[in-house]
Amino acid sequence: MSLQTTLFSQTFNPLRLRTGNKILRQRLRGPSVAAYYPRRVATVKDLQKAYRHFDEDMETWDEEEEDRIEHVALVKQRGKGAPKKKRTRDESKKNKGKKKPAMSAAAAAETKFKNG
Amino acid sequence: MSQFRSKKLDLSCFINVRVLRDHTKRKVFEQYETQRQALRYIIRNTTLPQRARAQAQLQLSQMHCYTRSTQINNRCIEGGKSRGVLKDFRMARVCLHGRYIIVISH
Repeated sequence: MSLQTTLFSQTFNPLRLRTGNKILRQRLRGPSVAAYYPRRVATVKDLQKAYRHFDEDMETWDEEEEDRIEHVALVKQRGKGAPKKKRTRDESKKNKGKKKPAMSAAAAAETKFKNG
Repeated sequence: MSQFRSKKLDLSCFINVRVLRDHTKRKVFEQYETQRQALRYIIRNTTLPQRARAQAQLQLSQMHCYTRSTQINNRCIEGGKSRGVLKDFRMARVCLHGRYIIVISH
């Protein structure tokens, strides 16, 4: 039996113990799984950076970036742009917190009576 | 989790939070696959001492959920959809339909 297993390059395991060899035989799926989504190879910005040392004044264009800047300008014109960056702690706290409760009907009537 | 997410965007397909998350999971799975397999081997090997196997079991169960292959879900590279994705095209049936309409009309 032992000879047979060596001849056919099998493992000698007459007691049929579970040695977990099944897991060692499995292929690693990681590389194929991680390659599912197409990776970004190079962007316009990368190219610009790569060729900058070549010629400082080279004229380049990035259509997407231009579109984005144009969009931002348009939005700002309509007053719908992003809010200004808050520099200090107080500035950022200004519009936070609970809303002040509205005056109740009874209190309103009282003030009206006092005022005449 | 954001702790695993790459600092720079490295995808060129349709980008969505869900696509990004799935991509991150894939990369984390690739990174930890050997460690997981080693632990799995220790657990399955009945000739090893029981204590070591129990420890390996505990260690495997305490690994981050992103290292699990079951967390990964094929998503459409055109629209980020998760349902009706054809494995061969990596695309949802709806997006594929749009593609072949273009081909036929030409």
